[in-house]
This record gives sequence, C-alpha cells and structure tokens, in this order.
Amino acid sequence: MARLVINAVSVRFGGLLAVDQASLDVESGAIVGLIGPNGAGKTTLFNVITGLQRPSSGSVDLDGKSLQAKKPHARARLGIARTFQRLEAFGSLTARDNVLVAAEMRKRWNHERYDAAATTDHILELVGIAHLSDAPAASLPTGNARLVELARALAIAPSILLLDEPSSGLDEEETDAMGRLLSQLAGEGLGVLLVEHDMPFVMEVCDRINVLDFGKVIAKGTPAEIQGNPEVQRAYLGTNVEAP
Amino acid sequence: MLAVVVATWAGRPITGERLVQMLVLALPTAGIYALAATGLVVVYTTTGVFNFAQGAVGMLGALLYWQLKVADAWPTWIAVVITVFVFAPLLGCVLERLIMRHLAGKDIVTQLMVTVGLLLGLVGVANTIWDPNVGRAVPTFFGIDGFSIAGVILTWHRLIALVVAVLLVVGLRFLLYATRTGIAMRAVVDNRGLASLAGVPAPRVSMVAWMLGSTLAALAGVLIANETDMFSLGSLTLVTLVPAFAAAALGRMRSLPLTYLGAIILATAKVFSDLFLSFGGRWAKVPDRFPEIMLFVVLLLLPASQLRFARITTMRARARPASPRHAAVGLASLIVVVPIIGASLSATNLSHLTEALGLALVALSLVPLTGWAGQVSFAPLAFAGIGAAAFARWGGGAGHPWAILLGAVAAAPAGMLLSLIAVRLQGLYLGLATFAFAFFTREILLDQPFAFAGQTLNTPRPHWFGISLEGDQAYLTVLVVVFAIVAMGLVLMRNRPWGRRLVALRDSEAAAATVGINLLETKVAVFTLSAMIAGLGGSFLAMFYTKPSAAKFEALAGLGLVLQMVVGGIALVAGAVFAGVFQLPIQILLNRFPDIALLRGLESIAPGFAALGIIQNPQGAVVAIGEGFAPLLPGRSDARAALGAKRQRTADRYETESNELGLSIPLTDRVIADVERALGASSELVAERR
Repeated sequence: MARLVINAVSVRFGGLLAVDQASLDVESGAIVGLIGPNGAGKTTLFNVITGLQRPSSGSVDLDGKSLQAKKPHARARLGIARTFQRLEAFGSLTARDNVLVAAEMRKRWNHERYDAAATTDHILELVGIAHLSDAPAASLPTGNARLVELARALAIAPSILLLDEPSSGLDEEETDAMGRLLSQLAGEGLGVLLVEHDMPFVMEVCDRINVLDFGKVIAKGTPAEIQGNPEVQRAYLGTNVEAP
Repeated sequence: MLAVVVATWAGRPITGERLVQMLVLALPTAGIYALAATGLVVVYTTTGVFNFAQGAVGMLGALLYWQLKVADAWPTWIAVVITVFVFAPLLGCVLERLIMRHLAGKDIVTQLMVTVGLLLGLVGVANTIWDPNVGRAVPTFFGIDGFSIAGVILTWHRLIALVVAVLLVVGLRFLLYATRTGIAMRAVVDNRGLASLAGVPAPRVSMVAWMLGSTLAALAGVLIANETDMFSLGSLTLVTLVPAFAAAALGRMRSLPLTYLGAIILATAKVFSDLFLSFGGRWAKVPDRFPEIMLFVVLLLLPASQLRFARITTMRARARPASPRHAAVGLASLIVVVPIIGASLSATNLSHLTEALGLALVALSLVPLTGWAGQVSFAPLAFAGIGAAAFARWGGGAGHPWAILLGAVAAAPAGMLLSLIAVRLQGLYLGLATFAFAFFTREILLDQPFAFAGQTLNTPRPHWFGISLEGDQAYLTVLVVVFAIVAMGLVLMRNRPWGRRLVALRDSEAAAATVGINLLETKVAVFTLSAMIAGLGGSFLAMFYTKPSAAKFEALAGLGLVLQMVVGGIALVAGAVFAGVFQLPIQILLNRFPDIALLRGLESIAPGFAALGIIQNPQGAVVAIGEGFAPLLPGRSDARAALGAKRQRTADRYETESNELGLSIPLTDRVIADVERALGASSELVAERR
C-alpha cells in the first residue's frame, strides 16, 4: 500500500504564488481528481511531486518518507510516474521504444529478472496502441501520443500515477476506454492523481476530488459534494458557464 | 584566483598612478569589447540566434576599412562611413534575409552550426580576397597623438573608441526603452508569437536587429584593427569573438549593463596582468587566454538550468538509425573499398585520405554525444589532441597494440570534467563552454611540459603483429578497420537499452528523468565514451603525423569538423565518414591544379556554404544521399519501398487536401506559403507550423 502525501506545498515564481499551501493525498487504489481553472497551479504541483520543481515551502512524502532530497529519477524509482500536459513523448523513438526505455530502466534499477520486451508489448496492448508500435512518437496525433506517455508511465510499474489531462485529444470512445483502464488499474492497487478538464470524465472516474484555485485547495470531497459546492461553482464553473 | 595573482606577482608596487594607467589602458579596449558583445546580445535577444559569425563580421569590417583607407588611399571618414554605415548594415540585412530568417524555430544544433558555418565561410571569403600571409597595418585615427594621463598616452584613436562605446551604450538604452522599434524588439524577445499577434512586425524587427548587430561588429572591428599586431585573419576574428562571448555570457545574453561590466572586467584583467603580473614559461600564454578562461568560469557560475522540456521543434521525427545488418554491409564495403581507392592515389592524396579517416574516427565521437544524447560539443579535436599528446609522450614507438588505448584513457577524465558542466548547462551555453575548453586545451594544456611542450613529438608508426605500419597504405588499412569496428560498436549500442536511453535524454530530459533515467550518470557516461573515441582517434592521428604538435588540434579546426559532421548527419556513423572526407575532393583537385585560385578559395569557403544545407536538410546529407542511393542497391527492396511510400504520401496529401478544398491545382508547400503570405500570416508562424 503506497500513500503520497502533499503537505502545505507552496511555490513562488517571483511575485506570483503559483501554489499556496496546497495539501492533498493519494493512496493505493484511489483515483483522486485535481481540478481547477487554467493557471490554478495543477501542473506546477505535478512538477513539485516529481521533483522537476523545487517547492518554496512544504513537503511531499511517499509512504511516510520525505522526497525532499530526491532527484526526479529517484522519485520515479520509488514508484511515482507521470504524463505531461504538453507532450513529452520521446519524439524520435517509436511508440514501442518509448515504453521499452522505461521498462528497461525499471529492470535496471530493480535488478529484476523479467522480459522488458514482453512487458512492453503487454502494456501497449493494455493501453490500446499496439498497432502504433513502430510509428515514431513525433508522427502521432496528440491523443495517441498521450497514450504513448501513459504506456511509458505504466512501464515503470508505478505505485502512484500522475496524469495531466490525459483525455485531451481523445475522442469520446477513447475517453471511455481510458476511464475503464484507470478503474481497472486502480482496482489492481494503483493510486492515480488526475488533472483533467473534462468534467463528466472526472465525475465519472474519481473517488475524491480536490479543487485548486489560484494555487489554493478550496474544496475537497466526493464528486457529488464537489458538484454541489457553491464555492467551487463560483470559482471554477461560475466564471465560465459551461455546464457539464 | 587570488592564489594565481600571488603566485605570479611581479613585485611592482601598486600606486595610484599605476591604477590610473591601468584604467586608461583598459577602458578603450573594454569599450570595443562592449560594442562587439552588444551586437551579439541584441541579435540573440531579438531573434534567438546566437551569432558565432559576429567576430568574422568584425574582421570583414576591419579588412574592408584597410582596403579603402590604406590600399585605395581614401579619406578616413569616407572609409569609415562606407564600412560601418553602408557595408555592415547591408551585410546584416542580406544575412538575415537569406539565412537567419529561416533559422527561427530550428533546433539549437542547427542554429549554432549555421552561424559557425558562416564564421568559417566569411573567414574563407576574406582569405580569398585578402592574402592571409601578407601583413597589414591599419593606422590609428589622427596618428599617434593624444594626451598624457599618469604617464601613459591616451591616443585620440582610443579616446574615440571609448567615447563611441559610451555614446552607443546610452543610445541603445534609449533605443530599446524609448522608441517604438525598441519596444517592439523587446516584445519580440519576450514572446515572438504573441508579439506577432499584437501586430509587431517580427521579421522587420529581426532585420533591424541583424543590421544593428552587424554594424556594431564592424565598428568594433575597425576600432580594434590597429591594436592587433598580427593582422592574420584567424586571430583578428578571435580578437573580438571570444571576449564578446565572455562579456555577453556574464549578462546571460540578455542584460546589457552586465555585458558592459563583463567587457570592463576582461579588459582590466588583461592590463592588470600586463602591469603587475608575470606569467613566465609554461604559463606565458595565459593572459592571452583570459577571454576563454573567463567565458568558462562565467558559464560555470551560471545557475543550473532547469531540466529541459521537449520543444516542439525538437520533436521532429528523425531518420531511423541504420539497422545493424545494413551498417555491417556498409562498413565491410568501406574496409574493402577504401584501401583500393588508397592504392590508386598518389602519395600526397593517399596521405590526405589517411588523415581524412583519422578525422572521421574523431568525428565518430560526436555520434553518441551530440547525435543521440543531444549534448552540444565543440571540443572533439581537443579530446583528440589530449589523446595524441598522451600517446606521443608515453606510447610512441612502444610497438604494443594496446598502447593505442593510452589516448582513449587520457582523454576520458577530460570528458568526465566536461560532463559535470553539461549537467548544469545546456544547448548554447554548453556549446560555448566546450568551445572555451577547446581553446584552453589547444593553447595552454597541450603546450604543458607533460604534453607537447610547444614542440613536435616523434611518434613513429609501430609494427603490429609483425606488420609494419610505416607506409601510408598499410596505415590506412588499419585505420579503416579500426573505424569500422568502433562504428559498428556504436550502431549496435544504438539498438541497446543504453542507446535508447541517450535518445530519450535528447528528446526530453524532463520525461527521461521521470521514467527513472539518472541524467548525471548518463551524461558522464556519454561524455566519457565520446572523449575516449576522440582520444583514440587522436592516437591514430599522432601516428599518422609521426611528428604531431599542438598546432594540429586548433580549436577552429575542431569547430570545422563539428560543422562537417552536422552537415553529413550527426546522428549517423556515415555522417562521420562524410565529415572526414569532406575536404578530400577539393584537396585532391588542388593537388592536381595548384594554380587555380578559385579552388584555394573553395577549400576555405566550402564548409560555410555546406552549412546552409543544414537548414534544408537538418538530418544530414548522408540521409538524403542514402534515400536516393539505397533503392538502387540489390537487396534493398525495403529502401525502394520506403521511397515509393514517401512519394505516395506526399502525392496523397496534396491530392486529399486539393480534393477537400475543391481545388484544381495541387496544393504544394509553395502554394500554401503563397496563400499564407497573401493572408498576412507571418513567416514565423508558417515556419513553426511546418
């Protein structure tokens, strides 16, 4: 059982407080939503969790141990994987090699004896992009490239998976498939932190939701609680009437 | 630093008078450095292109000024006006139009190498017009008169340099902060796309920047021309080049005030060491290398850059690496064909070919480093020099085949050192740091008593396994086999986990880290491997020359090798062959027809023109050659199929787009560009979309 705890994290860029005392946690088997208007600090928080951004204050703990001094690769090796909002697939590698790199890394740091190639093919199958194996990632449309990133993230066998807008670029059918996949993975014990703008999707798959606005967590709760929360509607849904 | 000062203290007391002298001597030079650096910064900040050719523009300005003023005896002011205010802006304008405009949004290696090519090309042009072996002296403005301050003469010339620099500093400040053009320029710096949308004519701003940069460079060149005793072209280029780099680096390529501070520090340090320090013997050349040292130190002190996220521009799909089977066939034919070609050549040409293969081996070191891992390095020849020195000093004539590894082993620590810098720096800054390292290695490290000690070292070719390698033919055969072995090893490595990891690192460092790749470890490993390959190449070059010296490993020659490698295709071993033999056809022709001046010019200009090909063909010439040539080979039905598929894709795309739009003519790129131009979409947006 893994548990990721974000404890009063703040990130300051010059005069801008991008993340303000944000606290939330994700545990094995849960799909936790993180929603909020553009610029609320969601991606910055992801960068803090994965070690790409040093927080101005606050801490991130995994299973009770601080990640403070851990470099990004060390955090990956402890079981934190992520995808990126702005695509970061390895563009000149094929879709399969994107996943294979990650599978091979895991084999390397775990000194595990397993077949990285077979694992890779299994994951490609699972995510539904086996037919794209040989295409260079840079040549793929956005939606498919996101799936490559998801497959790559899964290849390090994470205990906590951070997904940054995984459904953007996917059509309805693919989004549904993504939802089923996430539920299945959570059922197998993966903890998921999901940043997403597609509200029906978030409400559907998440167990709990955190709402971030101007860097602050302004609400936490089940999807039903969040939908009924007036403050959330004001901050998030109210400004831009776009009923889900 | 203090320790250096103490150790070299010449024992002259510091008096107020001497300090004033120091300032009088240093400030005009600082002004000239500041001019050159400002040109660099203005162009970099407004266009994102770091102009390696800045110093070469200054050199052209100086030479043209000499031509008009001295050779043609025109009045000084006309010569100055024509050089600085007519020729230089025109040159900037032409360069921007023809070349630089197309660099927007290209990856950093392409951007850097095109301006490096321009640098080498302009030096070549100058070499062709003005014989580099003829000494030229440029008189100072108003002769040697001036007035005396604290016992030193401040000539009118230097006073003018200082005043011009100060006026321009004030003027630029005014331009950037108080005029529409300046504000537009700064807007373009902050966000090119956004500025475009807000109606800032980015192409025009970019042109103004290049004209201004070119003018400043020429002005610096004219002002400093009389200060350089040796009016040789290479040194003239460098007189303003590296100091400008160092000063601009202190200002992080953005801040003009810090850039001026950098210029002042640099000029003062030189005068300070002239007045108060004495670097004797082995360190005698250190004061001349202050700019490189300062550049290196400043880059080291810059705050570590953020992990690099992939940029759209670098996401372009690249040529698939050769399959091991195809590479094996290719390298085997190389082993067969090269000695046969060698046997048919005259002694001189055979020697050229052998050297070319030695250089190709050195160029091979860039394949994993720059080609796969995306780490810019301008120092392959410096590593080769270290390898050559180690081999020549300790392994020469040892006869034992393993001695050849000395070069590789000696270069490894240097590679490791650079990798530690590569962890902190990226792209342009890493390129500059390796450039400074290459100069430092050539000018100081290789001249140390434990290296070449300023002489040539006897390095006879050995007998291996009872075979004498003294003859060029035998040596060539060994060299081509070694090249093929190393190249094959690299090809195999590319298809192994480690090779994939390097490519992942290049494509997105951020993503690479988040799948558990240790960036430090990977960079150290790839830099060390690269240095070892170059060092091995250095050992072989040392034996090829039989009397190698530090002069065989010039930093600018190394820059040329990197350029040729990029032109050939930096991610492919075939690119290294291309890089090595690039100059060979011209050398052979020149050997046959020594009197054709055009050929001589071509030899030095060719790299520059080749660089222009990078814009069209960023993957390298060998890819284009391969795509055209491989389908002709038996057994390459895959290549034929690939070519057919490519043509079909292109045709399909045009046809579908045409059909969808109900057009009767095919919608080619050219037509699209015309439409976009007519609609007023800026060329940047169009370039970005591609």
